[in-house]
Amino acid sequence: MDDSRPIFVQIAELIENDIIAGALPEETQVPSTNEFAAFHRINPATAGKGVNVLVDDGILYKKRGIGMFVASGARDRLVAKRRDQFQNEFIAPLIVEAEKLGIDKTQVIDMIRKEGTA
Amino acid sequence: MSAVVEASHLTRRFGDTTAVDDISFSVQKNTIHGLLGRNGAGKTTLMQLLTGQDFATRGDIRVFGENPVENSGVLKNVCFIKESQRYPDDFKPRHVFTSAPWFFPNWDAAFADRLIADFRLPLNRRIKKLSRGQLSAIGVIVGLASRAPLTFFDEPYLGLDAVARQIFYDRLLEDYGDHPRTVILSTHLIDEVSNLLEHVLVIDEGRLLIDDDAETLRGSATTVVGTRQGVDAFVADREVLHRDGIGGLASVTVGRLSPQDRARASEMGLELSPVSLQQLVVRLTGGNQTETALEQSA
Amino acid sequence: MSTVTRTEPTEPMADGHDAGSRILSVVRLHLVNRYSVFAVPWMIMGGIFVVNVTIWWIIFASVTDEADRADARDGIAYSGALFYIFVYMLVLGIQAVAYTFPFALGFSVTRRDFWLGSALTFVALSAVYSAGLTILAAIEVATDGWGLGGTMFASYYFGGADASWIERFGLYFATYLFFYFVGAAIATIYQRWRNNGMLALFGTLGLVLIAGIALVSFTNSWPAVGAWFDSNGPSGVIAWSLVPTVVAAVTGYFILRRATPKN
Repeated sequence: MDDSRPIFVQIAELIENDIIAGALPEETQVPSTNEFAAFHRINPATAGKGVNVLVDDGILYKKRGIGMFVASGARDRLVAKRRDQFQNEFIAPLIVEAEKLGIDKTQVIDMIRKEGTA
Repeated sequence: MSAVVEASHLTRRFGDTTAVDDISFSVQKNTIHGLLGRNGAGKTTLMQLLTGQDFATRGDIRVFGENPVENSGVLKNVCFIKESQRYPDDFKPRHVFTSAPWFFPNWDAAFADRLIADFRLPLNRRIKKLSRGQLSAIGVIVGLASRAPLTFFDEPYLGLDAVARQIFYDRLLEDYGDHPRTVILSTHLIDEVSNLLEHVLVIDEGRLLIDDDAETLRGSATTVVGTRQGVDAFVADREVLHRDGIGGLASVTVGRLSPQDRARASEMGLELSPVSLQQLVVRLTGGNQTETALEQSA
Repeated sequence: MSTVTRTEPTEPMADGHDAGSRILSVVRLHLVNRYSVFAVPWMIMGGIFVVNVTIWWIIFASVTDEADRADARDGIAYSGALFYIFVYMLVLGIQAVAYTFPFALGFSVTRRDFWLGSALTFVALSAVYSAGLTILAAIEVATDGWGLGGTMFASYYFGGADASWIERFGLYFATYLFFYFVGAAIATIYQRWRNNGMLALFGTLGLVLIAGIALVSFTNSWPAVGAWFDSNGPSGVIAWSLVPTVVAAVTGYFILRRATPKN
């Protein structure tokens, strides 16, 4: 957990990562709030808040008396969302930094190609 | 949500010193509260007032809606574990665990046994002969196994090693998940517990400095590091919590930054680093000298 | 944002003011360490008894003349050996407040329940110990001083050899209560006012004692004081001790009600 952002946001992201990576397949049950809390050593209310974010986004849904499940189509929606974020969070700063160092866009693309084949 | 503890204008004076100075706050049901502050800040006195062990000079306390002083109906739902707890001279740990269920209606003997094994506490040794850590373990076990609807832990783990402290945090979270209750935890080891807390109270010199959700406090302060001119320009119109510097470099802690602020800082070549709850408390309650001492002890 | 309602039940609140059961719990707390409550006092008593038996044996082995023996028996009848056990009870009374009180408050007991429970414990223990001493005194009288002509339990102070068992029980009982409650009351002063309280207490006691002696001396009342002790006898003096016992029990309660355990 890093100190700059609320823990519930980080918990939501961790669950999202597990869904994207396939560790939590669609229509399977996710661990309970208390299990998340115990595993990550955080307050259960905070863990619950993180889970609620995903319920509100339709990524998780609640089966009464059983627990939380991954919604079908959740993975595709998460991947789409993360692609948008990728543009903002990785590409944009990359360009800013490259400009600072006097690297133009073709050079950046070359560098990315090299990274891919390495 | 309902308030388990309500204090208004609570004041406790000892002669010339004011240990608790006009404090008002409330504690919501089924939350884990952190009560943080330096030694002598008034944490223990505050908890003694809330548990009817001490008497307020002024102000009003409601615990479960009633005055806790000499109120057995309230107090039997309260467990107060303090670092300095005294035990009868001839007691062994087993006497403590034998008698605890007579006083705490929710006592779970099986849970207590498990904790005794976890902490490797010898039951038949005189309490006088136990190590500081073993003495603390007795308190921690009573505090957890009593499952009191309102539980206070005042520096519960003096002398406990890192492993034992982790056992305490894990068991607390686990049991709190299964049996929600209101916990007020006073500690110096803020970094270790900050993720367990839902709400934070910080007191200093008897006064309440912070009464806020832990999540709100998280990221509520940022340290800006860079050249003196750059930093000064950036923080010019902000409230500065702490300032430090060597030569041409400055390190200044300020309040919450918006994404625009962050972008501006990075354009100005300034580095931003988050301030942990512990650092925040240090910044708010301490001089510069105490800061290093506190950080080293953590 | 929707909220996940936690399905787990909240820890149940115990309700009602069943003070009676809290008071009994305090009694049980005082008795939880059976070894120090029941074994140690009788062991101390046994130790004192063995020492006394040895002394009697030495005396009667060395004294052969009948008249001298009778003298020795008269002297032994004034044995104060039993008072050691009462001093131990004074210490237990002090410890009950000095150690068990802060502990009981940690177990969320009210001061009121603690004092009432402690008082009940003192009364119960005094009764049990007094019964034991009464039986031992009866054996002592029946065996003509354990076959050696000694006196420890049926001493002059506790009715001598001729007292009825009920009278003797009453004397033991009052003595136990006196030491328990005085010990506990002294300790409440410490709990409430710490060292200043102790200084004030013993300072006051010293002053009262000196003033009393001065008063009696200047008014030439020593014969009257002697006469009071004479006319009341040891049994009467012990019976009068119930007055300071009750005073200690009542003031101890009010002192403790505003005391905060030491850290």
